Amino acid sequence: MWESIYAFVMVPMVYIAFGVFVLGILYKLYVVLSSPPIKGTLGMFPQTLPRPIGVLRDSLLVPTAYMKDKVFWFFIIVFHAAFLLLFLGHLELIQEFSIIQIIPHEIFLGKGFVGIALIVSTLYFLFRRFRPPYSLISVPEDYMILLILFLTMIFGSHMSMAAAYGVMGFDVSVADYRTYLSSLVAFRPVLPAGITYSPHYVILVLHIFFANLFLILFPFSKMIHSVFTFIAHNTKRK
Amino acid sequence: MDKQKIEELKKLIRSRLNRPMRYYLDLCTRCGLCYDTCHVYQGIPKREYSPVGRAEVVRKVYKKYFRPTGKLFPYWGDAKELDDTVMEELYEAAFSCTGCRRCMAFCPFGIDMPHILSIAKVLLIANETAPEELVMLTDAAVEKGESIEMFKEGFMDVVKDLQKNVQEKLNLPSDEGLIPMDKKGANILYVGLSGAHSIVNPAIIFNAAKEDWTLSFFEGVNFGAFAGDPEKMDFIAMRIINEAIELGVNEVVVVECGTAYRIMKFLMGKQPFKVSSIVEVAHRYIKEGRIKVKEGAITEPVTYHDPCQLGRNVGVFEEPREILEMLCTNYVEMSPTREYNWCCGGGGGLVALDNEEFRIKSGKPKKDQIVATGAKIVASACENCVMQLGTIQAGYNLDIEVKYITELVTENLIVE
Repeated sequence: MWESIYAFVMVPMVYIAFGVFVLGILYKLYVVLSSPPIKGTLGMFPQTLPRPIGVLRDSLLVPTAYMKDKVFWFFIIVFHAAFLLLFLGHLELIQEFSIIQIIPHEIFLGKGFVGIALIVSTLYFLFRRFRPPYSLISVPEDYMILLILFLTMIFGSHMSMAAAYGVMGFDVSVADYRTYLSSLVAFRPVLPAGITYSPHYVILVLHIFFANLFLILFPFSKMIHSVFTFIAHNTKRK
Repeated sequence: MDKQKIEELKKLIRSRLNRPMRYYLDLCTRCGLCYDTCHVYQGIPKREYSPVGRAEVVRKVYKKYFRPTGKLFPYWGDAKELDDTVMEELYEAAFSCTGCRRCMAFCPFGIDMPHILSIAKVLLIANETAPEELVMLTDAAVEKGESIEMFKEGFMDVVKDLQKNVQEKLNLPSDEGLIPMDKKGANILYVGLSGAHSIVNPAIIFNAAKEDWTLSFFEGVNFGAFAGDPEKMDFIAMRIINEAIELGVNEVVVVECGTAYRIMKFLMGKQPFKVSSIVEVAHRYIKEGRIKVKEGAITEPVTYHDPCQLGRNVGVFEEPREILEMLCTNYVEMSPTREYNWCCGGGGGLVALDNEEFRIKSGKPKKDQIVATGAKIVASACENCVMQLGTIQAGYNLDIEVKYITELVTENLIVE
């Protein structure tokens, strides 16, 4: 039975998760764009930069967080930068991208430190929520999402670090990951024996299970801020 | 609260789900960066007076009825059903907020919290629990718009009396036509308030600049916006827009009232005339040499309170400062200032409510700012702000005078 559950998580659930993620975001955008616009403008002043540059600066560098709480800002930047690097790292597990290899590196990008940076910043966000005033404004969703992220990353980091067990023969090779992930992308899913017979298979299943949950929740939770922040900052600068 | 009422309120929420509202309601991560940015929270440090605390009351109701997670797993986002307790929370949230949008300046996503609270205000009006004073004043303004012909004659008589003040100040031989009304083809339509100062001082400035202008029959103040009734807000503003179009003016100049100016300039869509604040116009006249003021006439320390609606919400920062720097030898800037300036606590119609003790407490950051400048004169360019600064002055026993920018200009005008 467990084999079937593992196989479900590794293949159909991944498709479901990506489907919900993509369609969910498109649906959310449709809901916003099909809602009536306001006849005036909600801009705020002064508007010192040209709008597109200002929107990108406010969305990506979060200067207001820097003004209010520098430690929090540091972890926001670390978290999002690490997230982007991990995304690129996962692309390299599908196939080779020469553009990502501009700075030559081994796979996985960052030798495990990127994942650790992400785990540390997630824990910072989580523990920050346990003290007032943040505990007073937090709802269960806030803790649960951070917990799902933490679990995704801790299992993912384990898989990355497991490569170091290579001499003992415990690791899943890059070639096996590429066979698995590229087969998913090609809609001809294959689960190579190098993955299913790995002693770490269950860890990989857990990593993918929590990543799937993350993707499913993304459009319908506060994580949608990563899409809507650009729209809201554009409104602020209109 | 019965089912029918809840259904009625749900329909109202749906009707307010415009484009920005949709993403503002979904965006917040409850990061808490806005938590202490509200002057009310600074004066009364309670969660319900933090911007996120206020917005969450609306957001939780929205989740309950409009989000699948709120419907299926209310615990997940702490979704709440509409009931009398929630209505009380909505009241506390909506009518403790001045709509200053200082929190928006600090929000990492730029969420407009007062825009979210507009849902709370609409629900309160439908529930008949919105502040009576604001509802009555809104209805009076609507009534005036619907039957203006009845009001015209009486208003003209009052205005005639004010012409003498203008004549006296400018040493003119006659008071005839110093405050023109109903003048077709005038260059400017000036929109004042009910207080004489809001008409006399601008009239002095217009006459000194030899401007071709006319006075509106309507007050600029928009109680529809304060009460949170968008339809009545539109109607009240449209009275002035229609008057301006009928008279064929080139420019509508709005009294020192931040909300009136913002509504006319940014919230009513594009108009066939220019919209300016009287402060911008006075500044323009000085720069063009159409009026002259006594430079450096005020030697006491002077500071300027940026009205939120005029400053961060419309962008008029430089003009009042340049006027003051011309008139004063000792101009002192407040800290923080401009877009990060603390709200005085009088906006959003709060000065019209019976809540003086609350406003004195919530005016604490403004009091601290004023004291730190050492100013003896606090200038501002908004009726609500000047009234609230007066309340702060009395409440904290401050040795200051509070003045309008137009008041300082007319007091120091060189009459030729």
